[in-house]
Amino acid sequence: MKENEIKCKDVVNHICESLGEDLNSAQCIAIKKHLGECKNCASYFKTVEMTIDFYKKYNVELPEDAHDKLLKSLGLNT
Amino acid sequence: MQEEKLLISLAKSGDKAALAELVKLYESTIYNFAFKICRDKEKAENIMQETFYSMIKSLNQFEGDSKLSTWLYRIVSNHCLMGARKLKSSNFVSLDEIEDDENNVKELAVDWDSIPFKSTENDELKKILDDSIKKLHPDYRVVFLLRDVEGLSTEETASILELTVPAVKSRLHRARAFLRNDINEAFK
Repeated sequence: MKENEIKCKDVVNHICESLGEDLNSAQCIAIKKHLGECKNCASYFKTVEMTIDFYKKYNVELPEDAHDKLLKSLGLNT
Repeated sequence: MQEEKLLISLAKSGDKAALAELVKLYESTIYNFAFKICRDKEKAENIMQETFYSMIKSLNQFEGDSKLSTWLYRIVSNHCLMGARKLKSSNFVSLDEIEDDENNVKELAVDWDSIPFKSTENDELKKILDDSIKKLHPDYRVVFLLRDVEGLSTEETASILELTVPAVKSRLHRARAFLRNDINEAFK
């Protein structure tokens, strides 16, 4: 894929690779260049990253009695 | 890591204290991952219990050529996917509708910086995140969670789910696009 042929469609197609994989490939470098120039794609890319970040930060605490219940059910309580 | 290897070795020889220590090391990770797939705290606790049952039962088959966490992710994923296969596919969106279309970018570009409840401590955002991911079929959900949320590599994700690397990439791309678009709609 030549740099000057990058279109929004290519960014959507290859956003998988551009998020965390092989960032130095010619294709990713071209995509990153396109993201710097295309407001729509930059916005799309940023919101996909934000989506991932939302789910990464959404954690739950193990219920207070869960550890003891678990060890008991596994026959590992002392 | 050395400590974990020692614990596994002791646990394999029947040391209950070592087994309990391994459970303690991973219970929070496993509970969280199970919750993230099921979006239900009670189910997550049950799956956590089943996962550690399976771990204890088959620990002797664990050869240590992958991380114990990867092995546990595989057990959780299998439990969750087995449960999901009992559900009707009409409960989930068809991701065939997600097309690699330029319009996907243009029509859905919205400034998320203006959203007032971006903290994941916010209950309104949590509900949006729960609602969106529940629409995803678990086969896609688990790929997104392993790869993006738990941070496993594409290859590790493929190995856990017994998929090819291109299949993982395809499911990941569709899951990301669906979630991003569905959340975008909820923000409007």
